[in-house]
Amino acid sequence: MSKFANIAIADQVDESKHPHSFMTKYIWSQDHKVIAIQYSITAIAVGLVALVLSGMMRLQLGFPNEFSFIDPSAYLQFVTMHGMIMVIYLLTALLLGGFGNYLIPLMVGARDMVFPFLNMLSYWTYFLAVLVLLASFFVSGGPTGAGWTLYPPQAILSGTPGEHAGILLMLASLAIFIVAFTMGGLNYVTTILQARTKGMTLMRMPLTIWGIFVATILGLLAFPALLVSAIMMIFDKVIGTSFFMPAILSLGETLDHSGGSPILFQHLFWFFGHPEVYIVALPAFGMVSDVIAVHARKNIFGYRMMVWAIVAIGGLSFVVWAHHMYVSGMNPYFGFFFATTTLIIAIPTALKVYNWLLTLWRGNIHLTIPMLFAIGFIFTFTHGGLTGLMLGNVVIDLPLSDTYFVVAHFHMVMGVSPVMVLFAAIYHWFPLLTGRFLNNALGKFHFWGTFLGTYAIYLPMHYLGFLGVPRRYYAMGTTDFIPESAQSLNASITVSAIIVGLVQLIFIFNLIWSTFKGKKSGRNPWQATSLEWQTAHFPPGHGNWGEQLPNVYRWAYDFSVPRAKDDFIPQNVTPEDVAYLDTEESNKGREPS
Amino acid sequence: MKLINTLRVKPWLPQEGSQQEKGDFHQLNDNQAAKTALNFFLTVITVIFFLFTITFLQRTQSFDFQALSGEPWLPFTDASMLWQNTGYLLLASITIIIARRYAELQHFYAVVFALTATTLFTSLFIIGQFLVWQQLNHAGFYINTNPANSFYFLLSGIHALHVLGGVIVLVSCIGIFATTFSYQQLSGRLKLCARYWHYLFFVWLFLFFLLTSDANTFKTIALICGF
Repeated sequence: MSKFANIAIADQVDESKHPHSFMTKYIWSQDHKVIAIQYSITAIAVGLVALVLSGMMRLQLGFPNEFSFIDPSAYLQFVTMHGMIMVIYLLTALLLGGFGNYLIPLMVGARDMVFPFLNMLSYWTYFLAVLVLLASFFVSGGPTGAGWTLYPPQAILSGTPGEHAGILLMLASLAIFIVAFTMGGLNYVTTILQARTKGMTLMRMPLTIWGIFVATILGLLAFPALLVSAIMMIFDKVIGTSFFMPAILSLGETLDHSGGSPILFQHLFWFFGHPEVYIVALPAFGMVSDVIAVHARKNIFGYRMMVWAIVAIGGLSFVVWAHHMYVSGMNPYFGFFFATTTLIIAIPTALKVYNWLLTLWRGNIHLTIPMLFAIGFIFTFTHGGLTGLMLGNVVIDLPLSDTYFVVAHFHMVMGVSPVMVLFAAIYHWFPLLTGRFLNNALGKFHFWGTFLGTYAIYLPMHYLGFLGVPRRYYAMGTTDFIPESAQSLNASITVSAIIVGLVQLIFIFNLIWSTFKGKKSGRNPWQATSLEWQTAHFPPGHGNWGEQLPNVYRWAYDFSVPRAKDDFIPQNVTPEDVAYLDTEESNKGREPS
Repeated sequence: MKLINTLRVKPWLPQEGSQQEKGDFHQLNDNQAAKTALNFFLTVITVIFFLFTITFLQRTQSFDFQALSGEPWLPFTDASMLWQNTGYLLLASITIIIARRYAELQHFYAVVFALTATTLFTSLFIIGQFLVWQQLNHAGFYINTNPANSFYFLLSGIHALHVLGGVIVLVSCIGIFATTFSYQQLSGRLKLCARYWHYLFFVWLFLFFLLTSDANTFKTIALICGF
C-alpha cells in the first residue's frame, strides 16, 4: 500500500473530488488526456507557423526576387525557425507530449500519470517555451537566422540575423523546453515502469508504449547536451566567456574571445541532435506498428524482434552523432568508426521495415485512412532511410554535404515519415478522443494530396543535390555548373509545397468539423485489442477505468486467432471468456494451441 | 540479466505470458514511483555534469587555460574556504538522515531540530559558495578572464542551483508535514531528499577535485583520456 496519505485526484472514489469547473477541467487540468490535447493543439498551432515559414522560403527559392518582403536575412530567419519549430516544438512535443500523454496511462491500464501535477507543470512550461520562442519574431532584429544547428561563432556574431535578442530568446526557449520535457519525461518512464495494471507485463505492452518509453529515455539522456551547450553559449554571448568562441576578427574588429572551440559545440549539439532523430522516430515506429496490426487484422510480425530493434536503435543512436560532422574534419579512424556505427543502425531499422511488410503479407488489409498513411510511411521511410545509408559513408557525404540531397534525405526520413505516422495516429485514435470518425472523403483527399505532394517536393530535391545546388542559399546567382533547368525544378517544388500546405488546411478543417459533426464511431470502432479501447466509458472519462482497473490476460496483438469467433481478442478478456467457432459452448475457455 | 530475461519472453504464448505476469506485477506505490523518478532525475543531472566535465577537460588543454591552484598566488592553492563549505554540505547530508530517523520514531522536536539544522547548513553552503565567488572577483579572477574561472563560476553555480532546488522541495515537504502531521509520509519523502542531498554532496566533491586541480593533474588526466 501507498505510504503517502494523499490520493491522486483520478483515484478518488468520491465523484465530487473530480474537477468540475472550466478552469480545473480544461485549463489547469491534471488529467493526462486534457494535457495531451493541450500539448497537441499548441504543437499543431506552432507547427502551422513553421509550415507558413517553409512556404515563404519556397516562394523565394521558386521565384527569386519576386517577393520584396523576403530579404536574405528574413530568408535565413525563416530557415532557422522552421527547422527548430518542426523538430523540437512540433514533432517532439506532439509525439511525446501529445500522444505519450494520451496513450501511456490508457494503454498500460493506469488511471493517470503518476505525477499529475508535474504533468500539468510540464505542459505550461512547454507553453512558456513556445511563447518565448515566438516572442523573438517581435523583438528588434527579429529571430535568429543562425540555422537550426545554431553553430558558433557565427550564431552570436554581428552580421547574423537576430544576433542580439533573437539568439538569446532561442537559447532561453530551448532551455525552458528541456525543463518541460524533463518533467514530462520523468512522468512517462515512471508511469510505464510503476503504474502498469495487473497482467500488463513489459512484453505485453503495445509497441506504441515501447517506442514512447525508449524515446523518452533517449530524450532524458540527450537533451542535457543541448541544455549544456545552450547555457554555455548564453555565457559566451552575454558575459563574454570563451567556451565556444575562438580568437576572432569580426567586421574588422578583434573580439575579446580566445581559445574556445566551435567544434566542441558541434559535438554537443549532435550528441543531442542525432538521438533527437530517434526521439521522433521511435514513437512513430511504435504507433505505426499498432496501426498496421489493427488495420491488417494480423498480429505484428516478430513482436519480440520489434522490441529488441527499438532498444537497439535507442542504444546505437548515441554512438553515431559525428556522421553529421564529416565536413568539420576529424581523425580518419573516427570517420570510419562513425560510418560503421551508422551502417550498423540500419540493421535493426531494416528489420522493422521487413516486419511491417510481413505483417501486411497475407493480412486482411483494410485500406482505411490510418492504414493508407501507415503504408505511405513505409514508402517514405524506406526512401529516406536508403539515402541515409548513402550519406552515412564519408566518401559520399563529403561531396553531397550542404546540398539539397541532404535536405531531401532528412525531410523524407524525419519530416515526412513521422508526419505520415502522426496523421495515421490522429485518424486512428480520433474516435477515442471524440467518439466520432474523421471524415473519410476528406481524409482520402488529405492522404493522396500529402503523399503525392511530398514526393513531388522531395524527389526532385535529390536530383538538385546531385547537381550540387547548395542548401541555405538565399539565391543562386550566376553558377556555371548548375543548369538553368534547376530553377524550373525549384519552381515546380514550390508549387507542390504550396499545394501540400493547402491540403493540410483541409485536414485542420476536417479535425474541427468532425469533432462536432463527424459520424459517430461507437465503441472500439476499429475492433482493436489494446486497452485504451476497453475503458468503462467511451470516450474515456476522468480516471479512465471506472471503479476497477482492468486485468490483462494477453498481449496486444491477438488478431485472427485460429478458431476464435471474433478476429480480435482484447487484452482484458479472460481465457474463459474467449469464444471459439467449433461447438462454441463446449470449447469456451480453450486457448488455441 | 533481468532485462535480458524480460526481453526473451514470448508473449504470444499464453503460458509464458502468464508466468511472467506473476513476478512482474506490483501495486502502485507512491514512494516507489517517486524513487524511480528521482533515480531517472539523478541520471539526467549526472549526464549534465558529465558533459560539462568533458567540455572542461577539453578546454584545459588549450593554450590560454590557467589552472586555479598550484602556485602561491592562485586562489585555490589554499582552498580552506571551499573545505569549510564542503563541511556544511556534509553536515546537511548527515542531519537529513537524522531527521528521517526521528520522523520514523515520530519524535517531533528532534525532527524539527534536525530539519532546521539541514536547512541551516545547506543555506550556509550556498552562502559560502557565493562568498567564494565574491573573493574571486575581488582578487581579479573574473568569470570571463580565463576559461578556468569561467568553468568554476559555471559549474559551482549550476551545482548551487541544484542544491537550491533541493531546499525548495525540502521546505515544501516541511510545509505539507505542518498541515498533515503524517510522520510516515514525511519519512518517505525525507528518504528521497536524503538521497538527493548525498548525491549532490558527491557531485560537489567531484567538482571540488576537478576545479581546484593544478596544471599537472590536468595534463595527467588528458594523457589518460587521450585528449
